[in-house]
Amino acid sequence: MSKIELRGIKKDYQGTEIVKGIDITIEEGEFAVIVGPSGCGKSTLLRMIAGLEDISSGELVIGGKLMNMVPPDQREIAMVFQSYALYPHMTVADNIGFALSLKKVPKEEIAKRVKDVAKMLELEHLLDRKPAALSGGQRQRVAIGRAIVKRPKVILFDEPLSNLDAKLRVQMRAELTKLHREFGSTIVYVTHDQVEAMTMAQKIVVLHNGHVAQMGAPLDLYHQPDNTFVAQFIGVPKMNLVKGALQHGLFTLPCGEQVQLDAGYGSSNELQLGVRPEHLQIVRGGSGWEVDLVERLGVETFIHLHCKTQEQLVVRQEGDCQYDVGEKVALTFSQDRCFLFESHGQRRLPAIAIAVAS
Amino acid sequence: MVSLVREMPMDTCAAGQQAQRRAYLTLILISLFCLAPFFWVLLAAFDPKASQFLALPESLTLAHFHNLLTNESGVRWIMNSVVIIGSATVLTLIFAGLGGYALSRTRAWWKRPLLYAIILVRIVPPPALIVPVYKVMLTLNGWMHGLITGLTDDAALQTTLLRMFSFVDGYLGLILIYTALQLPLAIWIMKTFFDAIPKDYEEAAALDGASQWQTLRYVLIPLALPGFAAAGLFAFINAWGDFLMPLMFTSSPELQTLPLGMFRAFLRVDAIDYGFLTALAVIYTLPAVIAFAFARRFLTQTFSGGVKG
Repeated sequence: MSKIELRGIKKDYQGTEIVKGIDITIEEGEFAVIVGPSGCGKSTLLRMIAGLEDISSGELVIGGKLMNMVPPDQREIAMVFQSYALYPHMTVADNIGFALSLKKVPKEEIAKRVKDVAKMLELEHLLDRKPAALSGGQRQRVAIGRAIVKRPKVILFDEPLSNLDAKLRVQMRAELTKLHREFGSTIVYVTHDQVEAMTMAQKIVVLHNGHVAQMGAPLDLYHQPDNTFVAQFIGVPKMNLVKGALQHGLFTLPCGEQVQLDAGYGSSNELQLGVRPEHLQIVRGGSGWEVDLVERLGVETFIHLHCKTQEQLVVRQEGDCQYDVGEKVALTFSQDRCFLFESHGQRRLPAIAIAVAS
Repeated sequence: MVSLVREMPMDTCAAGQQAQRRAYLTLILISLFCLAPFFWVLLAAFDPKASQFLALPESLTLAHFHNLLTNESGVRWIMNSVVIIGSATVLTLIFAGLGGYALSRTRAWWKRPLLYAIILVRIVPPPALIVPVYKVMLTLNGWMHGLITGLTDDAALQTTLLRMFSFVDGYLGLILIYTALQLPLAIWIMKTFFDAIPKDYEEAAALDGASQWQTLRYVLIPLALPGFAAAGLFAFINAWGDFLMPLMFTSSPELQTLPLGMFRAFLRVDAIDYGFLTALAVIYTLPAVIAFAFARRFLTQTFSGGVKG
């Protein structure tokens, strides 16, 4: 019914291609998060789905129908704007009921549906207020109410939490997930915050420079990144990348350390070893790496290190750990937690055939 | 020592108070000087023995107003002014609203040149335009005359229609001239105002299923009300104070507007009736004051809270 298919979608803006051919399928009822750094084309993509932006080429299919030329209000979608865009001269009730009143829905019906939505979002006591008299979180809720009152098949969110403070953001994340579970609409959610993507999404689409860098379930992207961009974008702090050479499965770091990897990776002089901060272990009293900075958060500790060739790494350790700046330490790499990337960023996978041959 | 310390601030305090008193006294004198003419107009209008000197009336009377509204053509002048300037203001607001919106949202290359061209019209002093405008209006008037006389043979109806739709010596001509003169500033005000209204509102309305007209009616116009109030106020007060255009473009006494009526009353050969003139001046000032009071409500009403957090 409300499956969204994007086939070869492109957006050309005054000769510059912003979205460069995107193929995505979002299943009915799925919570999909499009994530990427600013300028990657994610908002443009969402606006094309909404119908606020023309599609230069490619096909947009929602619920089996080609939507390229269908005006926004006939796509059976609703959108929550980053700025909320609540009509400031209308009360909360009027804001939520506006779409219905335009459709000439009877007044009693509008009042009832607005009340239902308000109850669901805990806005009942605010219905007579104007947006100016609401807090950020309440405005956010009104914006969501305005979207769901239409009972749309698809709800689009454009960075809806970016104007809220950190505490409220955590709370709204949980509420949005709950709302999706109760409401069951297909959701397309755009954000630059990978934490929002990881916590809410059933499917993440990582956009980079107008291309899909990778898409899949949140933990698949975390555990099996296709390229350095996804590897460094998903996960905080980002994955460490160290340049080095590989000879018959033995990866040599610039400062001389060696990591034994699967022999099937082959040989190359220009590779990058990727390893997440949580998968590195510090050995006290060793040498090779020097402590630059220690960030102690209580529940975890981040230790920034550099080696004599100025390569830098971050290590995450559980709990509160004490290290001195300038302290010399060694590192242990666990083989199955390391990734190999080509110099151009693509991940290198072990070739089974070679592994067998050697 | 102690007393000295205690007296010091009192001294400075007293000196400060004295300086302040002097400042206030000066300000009061200046304000009196500025307000005196207004007092004179207001007092003389109600003074049965009004003269050109500022004096407290011995008794108050409404005779001057009564005379103006019954014996003289006061009501007609007021009506003429209100109809002409009111229509021109409404027309100005419609065109400025639509034009300002279009100019605010377009990204065409001609946006800037056009905007400056529009304000350039405003720079030309209106008297410099009189001859060409008069020529244009006269030509149009000929056509309109032919049209109306062709439409009906009824002489009375012809006279009425001619008075309403003539370009020279008719309502329509003055309304159009005032609209044209007030439009540049009004378009700029509205354009600047629409610039400040985020496009998000229109997009939200589009997703809510509003047509262009509905977006305008339910979202943009309510949001732009302070802009309309400002543009309308400027247009109304500018046109209301104009004397030149009715002087040039009307000749029949039935079409005389307030400033013209006042001017003609001032020029009468018999003794100047100060009571009559000041009553007229009071009435002439009132609509501007009312317009301002009306617009003020919208001017100070600013909307916030619709966007951002």
